[in-house]
Amino acid sequence: MKKLVALVLVFALVCGFAFANAATEAVADTVEAKIAKGQTLSDAELLALAKEESGDFYAYGNSSRVANAMKGFIAKYGEELGLNENNAVGTKMNDAEIYSTITQEATGSSAKVASVVMIQDGAQLVMYRSASDMFLNYVPGAVAGVLDKGDVLPLVHQYINKLFIWNVLGDNVPVITNVWQLTEPGLKDRIFFKNPTTEQVNNNFLIMCTSDEWAKKLADAYKSYYGKDIQLGSYKNAGYKWVAEFLANVNFSVSSDTTICNTVASAESAGNMGLFVLSKTRDLDATLKANLQVGAFTEAQIDPFSGFMYPLYVQMTKAANRPYTAMLFINYLMTSEGFKPWGGAGTNILGAYSTNPAIGAAEGDQAIDFWKECLVAEDAAYIMQNRTVVSDFINAEIAKK
Amino acid sequence: MPEIRLEHVTKRFEKFVAVDDLNLHIDERDFITLLGPSGCGKTTTLRMIAGLETPTEGKITIGDKVVFDAATGINVSPAKRDIGFLFQNYALWPHMTVYQNIAFGLENLKWKKEDIKVRVQEMLEMLRIEEFVGRYPAELSGGQQQRVAIARTLAPKPQVLFMDEPLSNLDAKLRSEMRTELKRLHSDSNSTFVYVTHDQLEAMTLATKICLMEKGVLQQYDPPLTVYSQPANRFVADFVGNPTMNFINAAVKKEGADTIVEFLGVKAKFTPNDKKEAIDASEVVLGIRPEFFTIRDDGKIHATAYSTLPSGMETTVKVKLADELVSSVVFGAIDYKVDQAIRCDIIGNQICIFDKGTTKRVSIGALEVL
Amino acid sequence: MAELALQARPKRKMIYVLRDFITKPENIILLLTVVILGFFTVYPVVLLVSNTLKVNIADLFYPELFGKKVGSFTTFHWKRMLFSDMSSTYFWVPLKNAVIMSLLASIIAILFGGVVAFLITRTDLKFKKFFSTVFIFPYIMPSWTIATFWINFFQNPKIGNFQSGMLYYITGITVPESFVYGLVPCAIVLGLHYAPFAYILIGGILRNMDANLEEAATILKATRAKIIRKITLPIVLPALMSTFLLVFSSSMSAYAVPQFLGGTGGFRVLTTTLKQFITNGWYGQGYIMAIFMIIFGLAILGVNQRVTGKRKNFTTVTGKSGQISYIKLGVWKWIAAVILIVMCSFCSFMPLVSFALESCTMIPGDYSTLTLKFWIDPGYPLQNGLHGLFHETQVWSAFRNSIVLSLSCSLIAGTVGILIGYAVSKRRGSRLAKAADNLAFLPYLMPSMAMGAAFLAIGAAMGLSKTMALLVLVGAIKYLPFASRSGINAMLQLSGEIEEAALIVNVPWWKRMLKIIFPIQKSTFISGYLLPFTSCMRELSLFTLLSSGSIYLMTTLLEYWQIWCSQSANALNLLIVVTVLVINLLVNKLTGASIDKGVGG
Repeated sequence: MKKLVALVLVFALVCGFAFANAATEAVADTVEAKIAKGQTLSDAELLALAKEESGDFYAYGNSSRVANAMKGFIAKYGEELGLNENNAVGTKMNDAEIYSTITQEATGSSAKVASVVMIQDGAQLVMYRSASDMFLNYVPGAVAGVLDKGDVLPLVHQYINKLFIWNVLGDNVPVITNVWQLTEPGLKDRIFFKNPTTEQVNNNFLIMCTSDEWAKKLADAYKSYYGKDIQLGSYKNAGYKWVAEFLANVNFSVSSDTTICNTVASAESAGNMGLFVLSKTRDLDATLKANLQVGAFTEAQIDPFSGFMYPLYVQMTKAANRPYTAMLFINYLMTSEGFKPWGGAGTNILGAYSTNPAIGAAEGDQAIDFWKECLVAEDAAYIMQNRTVVSDFINAEIAKK
Repeated sequence: MPEIRLEHVTKRFEKFVAVDDLNLHIDERDFITLLGPSGCGKTTTLRMIAGLETPTEGKITIGDKVVFDAATGINVSPAKRDIGFLFQNYALWPHMTVYQNIAFGLENLKWKKEDIKVRVQEMLEMLRIEEFVGRYPAELSGGQQQRVAIARTLAPKPQVLFMDEPLSNLDAKLRSEMRTELKRLHSDSNSTFVYVTHDQLEAMTLATKICLMEKGVLQQYDPPLTVYSQPANRFVADFVGNPTMNFINAAVKKEGADTIVEFLGVKAKFTPNDKKEAIDASEVVLGIRPEFFTIRDDGKIHATAYSTLPSGMETTVKVKLADELVSSVVFGAIDYKVDQAIRCDIIGNQICIFDKGTTKRVSIGALEVL
Repeated sequence: MAELALQARPKRKMIYVLRDFITKPENIILLLTVVILGFFTVYPVVLLVSNTLKVNIADLFYPELFGKKVGSFTTFHWKRMLFSDMSSTYFWVPLKNAVIMSLLASIIAILFGGVVAFLITRTDLKFKKFFSTVFIFPYIMPSWTIATFWINFFQNPKIGNFQSGMLYYITGITVPESFVYGLVPCAIVLGLHYAPFAYILIGGILRNMDANLEEAATILKATRAKIIRKITLPIVLPALMSTFLLVFSSSMSAYAVPQFLGGTGGFRVLTTTLKQFITNGWYGQGYIMAIFMIIFGLAILGVNQRVTGKRKNFTTVTGKSGQISYIKLGVWKWIAAVILIVMCSFCSFMPLVSFALESCTMIPGDYSTLTLKFWIDPGYPLQNGLHGLFHETQVWSAFRNSIVLSLSCSLIAGTVGILIGYAVSKRRGSRLAKAADNLAFLPYLMPSMAMGAAFLAIGAAMGLSKTMALLVLVGAIKYLPFASRSGINAMLQLSGEIEEAALIVNVPWWKRMLKIIFPIQKSTFISGYLLPFTSCMRELSLFTLLSSGSIYLMTTLLEYWQIWCSQSANALNLLIVVTVLVINLLVNKLTGASIDKGVGG
């Protein structure tokens, strides 16, 4: 009996491997080859090749706006490609799910595969790209020349910022001019921020605070606020100290930036503030919008940073079943028409900044250069080196709460 | 050793009347059995006297203490009535050893430890279960459990002992053994026993008096042999005795001073034992016990043998008389052939006459076949 | 003649023995069961263990693993979980929290459930019928019902996200944060959820206990208190211990309650930490967590089997247990009844009322702003990005997924359960039957979430990740114990002669099953189908690791919504709870089966 069971086990294992291997091989070579070809083609040529493709077209992104972008894409090309809202879908998924889903689809045994993903967390993407080939980079020929060098591999679609924003009602308005104010006991539980254990970009921001560059700036800001030198105690640098004290004050009870935005903007939230995505303010009605003040838009701004920003990448997948359609879609995304769901010039949606210099900032917003000056940016290399150490530190701090 | 008195005791469960206006007087040192078919109210009566049920109406006295009175609201708890109760399924506590089971009641009476040990040993010897003293009930057979239960009940020397069908879970052989034991225990312990059973043989053999009940109503309360030979009504006559009494519809005529009964083609003269008893009805039911309907070569009744059931010591014969079957019991192992012609006679002076309507016994006497 | 007696008897040829074996359907069923179930029980655990020794992509961030190849061997995960600086945060503290929470929950459940059981079976409490029906509700409703209600009720502007809650809105009372999020509320809510379970087990023993046992003690002059101490309690003790162990093990593997009610600070238990690991791709550590959960679960339930097996069952059901005399409570019978009514409502009706109210408030917690928008507004997406519930496609696709999943699981589990029941009862006592019986019961002993993790590993290995097929597979296996117990019980009640009568007139096996055996034991068999169905509809911890953005079930959708749109989440919650209650009611009316009568899941 035991021998029989063992035999069955081995049989199953062998079958599983063989199956997985066979499937992946079939798809691998061709998509990369097609990408190499597609980078040189025009939209019309891509369209012609895309027409010959068949099957459903899926894109994953961590915002519902990928669905809106898909709708715009179908409106433009749908008829010719035979795509409509039933077989071309943009699905919202959070980052972790996108990574695990693409991992599964890359084994080739999934019925449904995505051809395009819009994804955050550069460090993890770079890690996946170096350890596997499930993500493939494609740069539209039209913009290859005008993008910043650092935005090309992997391709960055836009930058998103999270800013310190506070409620202006009541007597206890937290007007922030220096980030060390956020560590004061008076602000305990009044700062809303998404939990870094579930929101990787928030985690990355905190990691970046511990980098030499920002640690130095934080130490200087400490001196200018308190008038004396910072005492590190057991902390490795000023960044660690700030992160620990900031986390002690943060209120994690709201777990989505949209809700944080609504909560901080509400009339009941006098005295509260948050560090959240600026573009969430787009859905507020005028009265609620008026309750908010963005730190970066004040005269003084905040020393040394008014928040942070991070890139949103676009990648194609190894398992893509419609590579040319995908490339056409990415081309579309990099145009101002394709960027509309996120904002850009001609809209009043704040908080999204296309890497395509031809697409300017929205009304009432600042251009991306402004933000690069006053926000903490992600450095994928630093994060990769220090992710686990700092994350452990952060987890331990949160556990103390 | 008190006497027990029940006056107008009634028990109602919503609309259902379990016990109806029961009056009973139990003398000291009696061994009373409450006998009757299932649902007749005997267990309810027992539990009411013990205090485990509360009567709806009536008064119960044990000795000179009123333990229950509906009128004045007295209701003494069973713990204070100084009684013993033996349950049908023994109710031995499964998590206690035999010793602990028997000692429990004595501990509650605050006996000294040494006294308890002595008394428990006494009980173990009396019931011959010394070797089981450390065992748990689950490790004992039915008969052994039964004896442990008796030991537990008798240990505190209760004045009245109530038993609720204690032998019904035992096999036939053990049952008859235990019956003998119980009768001996009764005479040894000097207590009053009140015993519930549905087995009329048990009641007959054990009791000093039988209290026969049906549907909550007392039918007869007399010593066993009286109940047997002078049943108060048809139900009692039918219930007691095995094989059961023969009930035969008869027509009554008066011929001069004689009372003539006619049944199944037989004509007989009826002479009551008590001369004062007279039968007024024209239709009655005769009650003839099988042992009084005997088979004799010189019998005046001509009949045929329908079937015979010889059981070694005696033979039960079903006699076919004018298309009806009458039971007869004869001593000895005699086998009659089926449909063999036989002749029968009616003997003795214990032939009952029951009123057809009320089923009460009207008279008892001798039948002479003409 | 004598010569024949001296010859050795020839043995039957092996081939004939085998042929006989194969031609009996029950043997084939048992064989298949042992092989397939053995595979799906052993293989996942093997995979779990092997994956804890492998490097995954997400692990490459660790300095100790820089530059290693994905899939290579490493003992890093074990070291990190058990022996590193972070072991405390990631393992020991969650373990400690889980144990304390489960201990408290068991005590609360036994006290509450046991006292109510005693009051109902031994005293003259008022409104007994009402209580015995309503008290069970919290157990039938999904485990997070009271948890989400707790938040809705106690939330106040001084804590958390500063919203108002029911208590604050009506009375202005504010309670501290540690009473709303963290160890205390988790323990209380789990205790309340499992109190009906304690009530059923303890009440069952009290009810079946021979009344004569206590009467005999009364007659032997024991006081009421002494009877309870020396007679009632010792006899009820096996049930008490069993309840304790079962509630403890269920609480250890509870996921929904600590997830919803754990708060955002340091209160983490094994299950929520496991979820976090898996979500972040740290499979190595996650699987170690799962292995420990399995070991714990098996150990506790093993102890339980020994405790209940060894002590002989102390209850005998005789036909003639008379009326027990109830303890008279006097004026307390009204007071106790009122207190119980309040508590029962808190756990049964109030949650539903609260969900309904909260789903209709524009501002959460503020009941002056009621609106039906979140239910019926079809048009423009609401401020949280969703349409009104009845028009939100996610809800209906999740509903459809849940129904499809539950139907599939119940059909598979139920049918296999019947077959196993048939085969085991026919070959009762043989080693093969014992093996099949035990294997079919094994999934019950595995904590749901650990099982989810194990099948996640299988799914990855067999290429089934994130598919409905994997969900159906794990669901069918998880609920097989319910169905096989029903099947075995049903078959044991049938005398073998019923089938033999048909066998003699040459009716083929499938026809015998379909036309004779199944119709006779219909109701027991059907409960083998319906119990998995009901349980599956309200299951979260089993599926939370396995279903993802592509396949939402009602329950996982709720988990997802709970964090970002409270009104819609409350509406969905109400929908789920009402659906489960209705299904259970229908099942109960049709067949008499109910989750609370099940094996205790």
